[in-house]
Amino acid sequence: MLGAVGLTMTYGLSGFPNFAHAEFITLGAYIGYFVADQLGLGLPVAFIVAFLVSGIVAFLCYRGIFQPLAKRGATIIHLMVASIALGFILRHSIGAIWSWRPLYFTTSWPAFDLGPIRVTGLWLLLIFTAVTLAFVMHLILTRTKIGKAIRATSSNPELALASGINIDRVIWITWFVGGGLAAIAGIFRGADTQIWPMTGWDIILPMFAVVILGGIGNFYGAIAAAFIVGLAENIGVVALVALGLSTTYRMAIPFVILIITLIIKPQGLAMLFRRA
Amino acid sequence: MGLYFLDFLVFVGIFGIVALSLNLEFGFAGLANFGKVAFFLIGAYTYALLSQIGIPFSICLIVGALISALFGLLVSLPTLRLRVDYLAISVLAFGEILRLIVKSEDFAGGDWGISVAPAITIAGASPYVGVLVNIGLVYFCLLICFVVAQLLANSPYGRVVRAIRDDEVAAEALGKDRAKYRAQIFMIGSAMAGLAGGLYVQYLHYVLPGMFMPMVTFTVWIMVLLGGPGNNWGVLLGAVLVELFKYGTNLAKPILPIDPINLQYILFGVLIILVLFYRPQGLLKESPIKTKALELVKYGKGVVNNKASK
Repeated sequence: MLGAVGLTMTYGLSGFPNFAHAEFITLGAYIGYFVADQLGLGLPVAFIVAFLVSGIVAFLCYRGIFQPLAKRGATIIHLMVASIALGFILRHSIGAIWSWRPLYFTTSWPAFDLGPIRVTGLWLLLIFTAVTLAFVMHLILTRTKIGKAIRATSSNPELALASGINIDRVIWITWFVGGGLAAIAGIFRGADTQIWPMTGWDIILPMFAVVILGGIGNFYGAIAAAFIVGLAENIGVVALVALGLSTTYRMAIPFVILIITLIIKPQGLAMLFRRA
Repeated sequence: MGLYFLDFLVFVGIFGIVALSLNLEFGFAGLANFGKVAFFLIGAYTYALLSQIGIPFSICLIVGALISALFGLLVSLPTLRLRVDYLAISVLAFGEILRLIVKSEDFAGGDWGISVAPAITIAGASPYVGVLVNIGLVYFCLLICFVVAQLLANSPYGRVVRAIRDDEVAAEALGKDRAKYRAQIFMIGSAMAGLAGGLYVQYLHYVLPGMFMPMVTFTVWIMVLLGGPGNNWGVLLGAVLVELFKYGTNLAKPILPIDPINLQYILFGVLIILVLFYRPQGLLKESPIKTKALELVKYGKGVVNNKASK
């Protein structure tokens, strides 16, 4: 969900799907690993550093590549191809620096039982962080000037520009925050499974399903959609096991949701949150 | 070394077919197919599975192309009326899922893949002859695809497709159903990719899920963008250049400081961004449409009179 929020915001504001978002996630996971495990500074510092680094990289990518391209009149297809190209550059640079061997966080998490369910501290932290960040984002989007500017730019860039909003700056800030949130998502993903250069790519497609189900550029839609897709995946896995199929097919569940959304209601859940 | 060069020619031929098919979709119809590898995969596995039960290679290739076309239609249908980015995302996802399916299913050999018999075997022939036969087969298919692509591009049909790419509202106002044309082009493109997939596995003699990473799609995109979208000669040139580059980095392996695979992908990424920045029309530009009407506008009535007097 954390990753999808950043993705949906940059998608909505810049008007193209950024496939390199996967690499912001991966980069965040590696920076987190580097700070927490190799430098031994602990997880809180890791979160902050990863947020900043990924955020700055995302900002630089937009400022250095996508914005000039868009100004030269590149079409949406060109921007998508550029984002994939950028993804390859980042992914293989990461691969060249840290090698392709998977890495694991050494932090161990206390596990305890809540009734029949076994819960780890990592999951609790993840849920806590996600809820807090969602709440903070909500406050920023509705209460602050920059939040209102982001929403204005997202719904009507020309009008926002005419009202004296510096839309370039708004988009830069969004890319920064989007990249930073992706980094947080990357650390959690890395701590839950493993870190390798494909960490981000492994979850980018479910994230696109979330973005499209939630309605492109729609913050609340993305949160609701993340719950739906996550729930559907877990129910789906149970169903797959019951049907005797391989659990590899869980990847197919977000895809099916994606296709169904496109057939029935391409604008996604956005109509439920019109004011967002 | 000679064998190495022939090998190179085969790959240029196979990826030339895929690049032509992407050029039809992207260059002429403006469709962003980010899942080219999916149709390549369908062709490859169809060929592998059918040839195992002893069906002659030509039928395997054709059936592979047809099944690819069918899937191309199914995948593109929900998204053809929407913006192009929806098509890009859903086709990309489709490719990834297909790869996972062939990886986890026993009938497709799982991680270990399937070994495939070559299309044409000549008893007692040297490897040279084998490769030469392959070159013949691949370039025969390439020629067919090229002719089809050229005919499509320079026909009234091709002009409608380009018109939809350039201004879909205007084209619809003239009564051209954009979803119908896009679906047809997507099917033809997918069929060509399927054909190339079949040729690919019969040349390599095996098929593995790992051969169908999203990188394959991206390589083909580089060929098209570098060579010149909308120009069939251009994309063939792009295919030659990209394959040359791949072979070059492989040859330079011992003298490179970092892993050539990483380096290769990084350079591909840089290359594509540079092309988008400085030469978005590619090395060879799309040629202007040639019709009688246009000549008339340009050169006045003389054209018609000259032709009549001959």
